[in-house]
Amino acid sequence: MKCDWVRQNILFYVYNELEDDARYEVEQHLTRCPECATELKATRKFHATLSQMTVTEPTPNLVASSRMRLQEALETASQGGFWQRVIFEPGTWLRQIRMSPALAAVIFIVGFGGGIGATYNFLATPPGITGVVSLGQPSNSAIPVEASAITGIRSITQEPGSSQVSIKYDTVLTQEAQGSLNDQKIQQLLLFAARNNYNSGVRMDSVDLLTQAPNETHVREALMYALQNDSNPGVRLKALDGLSGFVKQDPRVRDAVLQSLIGDANAGVRMQALRLVEPMKADSGVRSVLTKLADTDQNVSIRSQARTMVRQMPEMD
Amino acid sequence: MPADSYAAAIPVGDLSGTRRQVQGSTQNPTVRGSVAAQSNRIDDTTLIREAQQGNRAAFEVLVRHYDRSVLRLAYHLTGSETDAQDIYQEAFLKAYKNLGSFRFECSFYTWIYRIVTNLCLDHLRKRNVRKEDAPVAVDRSGEEYSLIDQVADGRADANPERDLMRRELGGKISAALERLTPRERMVFELKHYHGLRLRTVGEMLNTTEETAKNTLFRATQKLRSALAEMR
Repeated sequence: MKCDWVRQNILFYVYNELEDDARYEVEQHLTRCPECATELKATRKFHATLSQMTVTEPTPNLVASSRMRLQEALETASQGGFWQRVIFEPGTWLRQIRMSPALAAVIFIVGFGGGIGATYNFLATPPGITGVVSLGQPSNSAIPVEASAITGIRSITQEPGSSQVSIKYDTVLTQEAQGSLNDQKIQQLLLFAARNNYNSGVRMDSVDLLTQAPNETHVREALMYALQNDSNPGVRLKALDGLSGFVKQDPRVRDAVLQSLIGDANAGVRMQALRLVEPMKADSGVRSVLTKLADTDQNVSIRSQARTMVRQMPEMD
Repeated sequence: MPADSYAAAIPVGDLSGTRRQVQGSTQNPTVRGSVAAQSNRIDDTTLIREAQQGNRAAFEVLVRHYDRSVLRLAYHLTGSETDAQDIYQEAFLKAYKNLGSFRFECSFYTWIYRIVTNLCLDHLRKRNVRKEDAPVAVDRSGEEYSLIDQVADGRADANPERDLMRRELGGKISAALERLTPRERMVFELKHYHGLRLRTVGEMLNTTEETAKNTLFRATQKLRSALAEMR
């Protein structure tokens, strides 16, 4: 009788889906019952056979082309009726977006305009077309607005005595800049990217490119900023690489590297910083940091390396 | 190249990085990736809210957290890069268009996978109809084999005999899998090849864990008898 129950659960046992108590029961039974043990063996063999049809990673090519294709499609896709949401789901939408009083006026106008008796004409759009707003432009042409491009509404005015509404709004515009690393514009964008991008990969790329031109003061500052503030240790390491040539000549860089040496959470970054200050171990400031590090760093190899460096230093007055 | 912050939540096998064996009983991708997954869930919430307000860059970053897994699933299930890409495209476009209705009642992972599995089910149903048109080729010994069969190997084939054997096994496995209903196939795929817990599989297919369990049971019974017949 028990065998029936066990047989039914052997599959889930093999797939690790049983609760702890059931698993225990099954295991206990299997030690005593050769028939069920045979069934377990058969199930495991089945499992192994099916596993021979391996799951391959998508090739980098497939991933890249899929992403590109999606990006292209997203450019023309709309996110389902911004204005529809305003009109039909004001409650949810209000909760999601911090509202400006001007926007509240729009909802009011759109929602209750009809009831009050006045007609606010959104440029005679045929039913079914959303997001067409009359701009305060002389041509008065209807320009469809891409919902995802709107960042905020500046003003809403109604011409007295008429049904024309004029709404000023800000949009996001995606642009592309091309040029050499020496171009000022490229440099500015790289500096911005190093600080501001969500994506650590983009920050990494921009810090990498900036390391190729650290002669500029503000580039050096951006690298120091990245070293001290970036959440990603890979980016911080890249920044260290870029600053390495300047540790000796620029006291600010030296201080930033020393700060990393004491304060960085990542041992790899601290180790690299240690290597960078090695040629300056004769300096008294560096020496005091190394002495402290030899005692207090969490990482064994860093402590031992620092200790070695201290021992090698000549006595200074 | 943007860093993939949802890094390797699924275990990589012993062999080259492009191939891995998924042992459903011992490796659970969600457990191993749970620490990485924890921080990604926080990121996801912010990204989703941003994307819901129209920030397309945020949506693209969000996509990157999941798109490899989606491709992996779609490719393994369909055996075709083109089909996999189509499913990928449809899934993420659908997600983008419907993001407004996502209310955080489940994780984004479950939500996107629900979309993907439904698209996969549609694909499987269509394919059942088209089975007679499956592309075939002829190998050295003159035997026909279906190009949908896959026991994929990244290495250059130096051993035609082993190749044939592998292809034969692959052919048998594929043929056995074809005997399953789309839902059975889907449950089996998600459980066996992607290591998801049956409770999650249930959520993705909009059903209960119990139903998913029964479906898995039926699927494995069918597969075992199919393979036994072919021997």
